[in-house]
Amino acid sequence: MVKENLVKDVVKEPYKYGFVTDIETEKIEKGLNEDIIKLISQKKEEPKFLLDFRLKAFKKWQKMKEPDWASLGYKKIDYQDIIYYSAPKQKEKISSLDEVDPKLLETFDKLGIPLTEQKKLSNVAVDAVFDSVSIATTFREELAEHGVIFCSISEAVKNHADLIEKYLGTVVPASDNYFAALNSAVFSDGSFVYIPKGVNCPMDLSSYFRINSGDSGQFERTLIIAEESSSVSYLEGCTAPMFDTNTLHAAVVELIALDDASIKYSTVQNWYAGDEEGIGGIFNFVTKRGKCLGKRSKISWSQVETGSAITWKYPSCLLLGEESVGEFYSVALTNNLQQADTGTKMIHIGPKTKSTIVSKGISAGNSKNSYRGLVKMGTKAKGSRNYSQCDSMLIGDQASANTFPYIKSQQPNSEIEHEASTCRISEDQLFYLQSRGIEFEESVSMMVSGFCRDVFNQLPMEFAAEADKLLALKLEGSVG
Amino acid sequence: MEIIEKIKKNKLVKNQTEIQKICLDKLQTSPLPNPKSELWRLSNKSKFSNFLDYSFNEKDGRFDTPYPKNSQNTIRLIIGENCDIQLIGKNYSIEQLSEYELHKYIKEQISCFDQNENWSDLLNLSLSCKKNILGLKINGSKIPPIEIFSHASSDSLNAKTLVIFLEKNCDIELLQVNLGKDNSSLSQSTFFFLEENSSLNHGVVSYGKKESNLLNSLNVIQQKNSEYNLGSLHFKFNYARFEINIKQSEGNAKTNIKGMQITKKDEQISTYTKINFYGPNGFLDQINKSLADDKSHAIFEGSIIVPKIAQKTDASQLSRNLLLSDLAQIDTKPQLEIIADDVQCKHGATISQLNEEELFYMRTRGITLAEANKLQLSSYFQEIISFIPISKDRWDLLDKLLNEN
Repeated sequence: MVKENLVKDVVKEPYKYGFVTDIETEKIEKGLNEDIIKLISQKKEEPKFLLDFRLKAFKKWQKMKEPDWASLGYKKIDYQDIIYYSAPKQKEKISSLDEVDPKLLETFDKLGIPLTEQKKLSNVAVDAVFDSVSIATTFREELAEHGVIFCSISEAVKNHADLIEKYLGTVVPASDNYFAALNSAVFSDGSFVYIPKGVNCPMDLSSYFRINSGDSGQFERTLIIAEESSSVSYLEGCTAPMFDTNTLHAAVVELIALDDASIKYSTVQNWYAGDEEGIGGIFNFVTKRGKCLGKRSKISWSQVETGSAITWKYPSCLLLGEESVGEFYSVALTNNLQQADTGTKMIHIGPKTKSTIVSKGISAGNSKNSYRGLVKMGTKAKGSRNYSQCDSMLIGDQASANTFPYIKSQQPNSEIEHEASTCRISEDQLFYLQSRGIEFEESVSMMVSGFCRDVFNQLPMEFAAEADKLLALKLEGSVG
Repeated sequence: MEIIEKIKKNKLVKNQTEIQKICLDKLQTSPLPNPKSELWRLSNKSKFSNFLDYSFNEKDGRFDTPYPKNSQNTIRLIIGENCDIQLIGKNYSIEQLSEYELHKYIKEQISCFDQNENWSDLLNLSLSCKKNILGLKINGSKIPPIEIFSHASSDSLNAKTLVIFLEKNCDIELLQVNLGKDNSSLSQSTFFFLEENSSLNHGVVSYGKKESNLLNSLNVIQQKNSEYNLGSLHFKFNYARFEINIKQSEGNAKTNIKGMQITKKDEQISTYTKINFYGPNGFLDQINKSLADDKSHAIFEGSIIVPKIAQKTDASQLSRNLLLSDLAQIDTKPQLEIIADDVQCKHGATISQLNEEELFYMRTRGITLAEANKLQLSSYFQEIISFIPISKDRWDLLDKLLNEN
């Protein structure tokens, strides 16, 4: 019993990114209607096709019903009580980082995001998004030398409208689901990446999302296009201040990989999760999908989900190209009253496609952690293979872990394997580690880290270290 | 509302029993299952409405039991006939449940029905007249194996209900046979109550004929230290649903399930299982196999629910599927819902075709392709068939399955 309590104590760790930056922001009024959408579009000086795209999505959204099939419980969201555009006030055009409001730079500094010159040594190009707009993108000149386009999506709309028009909404159509339609109507900013033919992106690209105001939702959109034989590794991080209200984050991420291209998309999600009573926190309802269009293309999702009051997302792969590969590696840690319904969809359409799913869920406190995944073999997916593994670890007897794998096959010449298990921290292993002089807290942390090892191995170096630290932080605390 | 009107119009149901009335009332609030719910989402709608299309019939056609009684000491019962039973042996007794006991138990069950999950039971109980409900109370040991038949009649919809109480320390083998006829629908609901220390080896063999349909629902409640073993086989139905609902009411019980469904042509056969552990130390070992050929569709959905009270539960579920044709499809969804932390739960699922390496090996040893395929299938079937408690010489299921392939 004592041990159980210790484990429970260990998973408590205060949220350290909960500060609010006091900065003058430009907000539009609350509510959602056609005028608001026109206003957003006007503020961003968008071409007509984009405004039409938004309005069409809005019309579809109005006809849609909020889905309720997930095993999640939350208060109904009042979509008219959200500010759909909030941006820090700044000078008209920024030519260099020196012109960015120092308070903003300070905020990102506090978060450990390398925006300023002296921190650029880490060799990661960053696009920082603050509430609704992108603040700065680093390393652009260096990337441009290789022909790589890495900028905020609003800039891309102005400078590369042809690419946006060609690809936006092709992977996640506006009518895809309720939150995707909402995002398509009101998305404010996000990142755009274009890797030209034959280019291996010379450095990791990264975007950092920060929600600052408590009453505005964040609706960003990311679009990554990898042309033939190119490759890119993209990292995404997110934090938000502590408010006692719930903030909605409904993002859309679209990836497109052409012949022989490879995209690796890694997320460390650490939005504010609400307090111990479950008050406040981010509703993280995200649609992420990649399309392996080309032959031998590859899309790999890896994610570490530790934050958000509610996480509801399924990064998916549409495997169209012959011999294309989809991967999904995920660690989801829930504590207190957090809820997560997450997993992936692997849709095998082309022949000889392969997919791997490794999902690790850790639930502690009164939290609820569900894995929900779909593996589908279409009629043409001859010679395709899937392997899925979902393991859950329960800490404490109030937490719940659910597994809902949907498996559908229409192709006899394909193989699907799925396995799932549920366990708790093994008393024997704990005893062994402690008898070797390792402290209780460290033993638990080691075992959790070992449990997640398969996933951490897939993360890029910088992130693997961060993720390990993040889990350890959540697991460290009051003990010792 | 059509189905309700149909039941109401039926002259024979004029003198309804109390249970029929209760169920009919419940059905009136939701006449059809919610097609969007997980349990009915994949169900073929036209096949399902075809199930309900047949006119309701309480009178049974002539029924000749297959394989007439041989010298073996077996008790054979046919639901709808000879329901007046009182068998008392040296070590055992099999008695009919009194109407009071039967109604009391069924009413208790209905009170915890979920409109959607137990729709098949509601339909069954609103149709089943007194004659077609067989209620038995069994106690003792060294009981001869029991065979119970439910059969459909051509061009009609029949409903049969079976309720069995197994008293303390009782130990039996029971084979339930559901037989379809040409163009028929059969609704079969079964309720078992296993008291402490009792053990039931249960076999369910359902086989249909041309265009026959089946809604087969099985509800089992297990008290502590009871053991329930189920071996089931469903084949040759145009449309069949097998719904299994098992409750370990106090935990500390054992459940083993081995089921198989075989679909061909454009058939659809589905199995839905829900296992609830309401106490600690429960045990479950489940395997479900599907084989889908031609244009058919096989479905398996299994859920294991382990609430906080069910510590030290050990549950495993495996879904193994063979997809043999380009036009066939298989859906499988094994799921776990766990709140207790000190448990061992696992599930697995595979979908593939027959192993080519095995095939190649056998061919190199001079075995013809057809023979080799047969061998592979027989090994696939054998695991399930050997678990069904039946007399081998009478029900040679393996032979039946292989020779019809």
